[in-house]
Amino acid sequence: MAIQYDIPVGAQHISLLEPLHFKLTTENEKIVDVEANVGYVHRGIEKACTSKFKFKQVSIVVGRICGLCSISHTTAYSQLAEKLLNLEIPLRAKYLRMLVIELDRIHSHMLCLSHVAENSGFEALFMQTMKDRETSMELLEAVCGNRVQFDYSVVGGVARDLKPEVAKMVLEHLKQLKPKIDDLMDIFQNNWSLSLKNKGIGAISKENAMRLNAVGPLARAAGVPVDVRNETEDLLPWKQVGFQMILENGGDVHARNLVRLKELYVSMKIIENVLNGLPEGDFFVETKALPEGEAVVRLEAPRGELFHYGKGNKTQILERLKIKAPTFSNIPAFVEMFKGNEYASAPAIIASYDPCLSCTAR
Amino acid sequence: MKAFANAILNLFKKPATIKYPFEPTYKPDDYRGLIVHNPELCIWCRRCEMACPPKAIIFSQALDGKQTYHYNRAVCIYCGECVRACPKPGALIQSGIPASPATKEENINNSWKITVDEALKSRAAYLAQKKKGEATE
Repeated sequence: MAIQYDIPVGAQHISLLEPLHFKLTTENEKIVDVEANVGYVHRGIEKACTSKFKFKQVSIVVGRICGLCSISHTTAYSQLAEKLLNLEIPLRAKYLRMLVIELDRIHSHMLCLSHVAENSGFEALFMQTMKDRETSMELLEAVCGNRVQFDYSVVGGVARDLKPEVAKMVLEHLKQLKPKIDDLMDIFQNNWSLSLKNKGIGAISKENAMRLNAVGPLARAAGVPVDVRNETEDLLPWKQVGFQMILENGGDVHARNLVRLKELYVSMKIIENVLNGLPEGDFFVETKALPEGEAVVRLEAPRGELFHYGKGNKTQILERLKIKAPTFSNIPAFVEMFKGNEYASAPAIIASYDPCLSCTAR
Repeated sequence: MKAFANAILNLFKKPATIKYPFEPTYKPDDYRGLIVHNPELCIWCRRCEMACPPKAIIFSQALDGKQTYHYNRAVCIYCGECVRACPKPGALIQSGIPASPATKEENINNSWKITVDEALKSRAAYLAQKKKGEATE
């Protein structure tokens, strides 16, 4: 039997964006076993939300959990609070929420793609993807007034209305973004040197993905049709605005890249449909009710299913708030993905998994 | 060969970045900037203070009942909750001016702690005096 070595990756590592720790047991450069530790950035946000902040302020606080999926947390919490208050929000607010969620998905997916390219050793593609991502950041700033912390969803609707000139600007910029994404699609699909690090690497089978409850692009790349946008219709009308499920076979890094790239097209289509069919009316409803009872909300964040649970007791402060982030649900599948690959492929696999540790540890 | 031609051509292309301190970056018209208070319109209801998540607004009160607004731009997260909570339009607005960075001379954290403590004390003193006045009448 060959000698086994334990190699630690993280918590501080050059290929990691966030403090995530792996202990990779290797045998002749092949990874045979993995241990993951994700609890390095615990900030006690759930406790703060149930002790220090009033329930209307919590939607701003949960936005600070993560910079990339800030709007997903804010929207999920706002929907949760609306369920606890029995509040029906106007259709315009729902449409505007969908618009910002999809813009956020574009920038998050492009960030992930650029990091896959960088960790596979293709620095120039990283630069190109990040340059194109800037368009979506500018659009988010124009819609929400801030580049990273959007604070767009509040309990009862959205924080600000969409101006007609901003809507026009979003459509124009998306038209310019489309050929750039076509270019990226071509490079990610056909580049030979990228395929060496991506094709067949970090593969997970459909059975394993289903057994280990994978969510998000990771599951869709393995062919498992999991998407909250496909399953729920009561909170946000996704099917009205042309949602399409993207599925790939193989479950390797390449398939995950393709799922993310194709989802960019779906997101752009949804944004166009939202802006062209934006209903008239209010975007915010005032309420003086207090949260009561229990509720659960699921929302498709860029990385997969985001889950919020809340319990109110007729006071300004919530009794319990529980957040389950998609990265946390994906850890078993992620650990499975490593096995049988070369140690040198580990950075590309980690990047394609798109970990968000601030969401996971909170 | 194609890559080589691209590399030569790129020498004559403009850079994708902008020269930031000399050229301004993109800023939308309704950028979320500093919160501006108008004491002439304010009705002193303190709703902004109650709504503010990071507690960047506090009102102090003199013994004659006159209130003063204190705001810390380094504590503020520019979410706009105070503006939404304000019942009087125009008394509190979110301007498009970005906050200037805090300097060491300002001592912004420690002086803010002192300001909050003093404001809370002044409000307690005002209430105590009011109670005393009611008791003597």
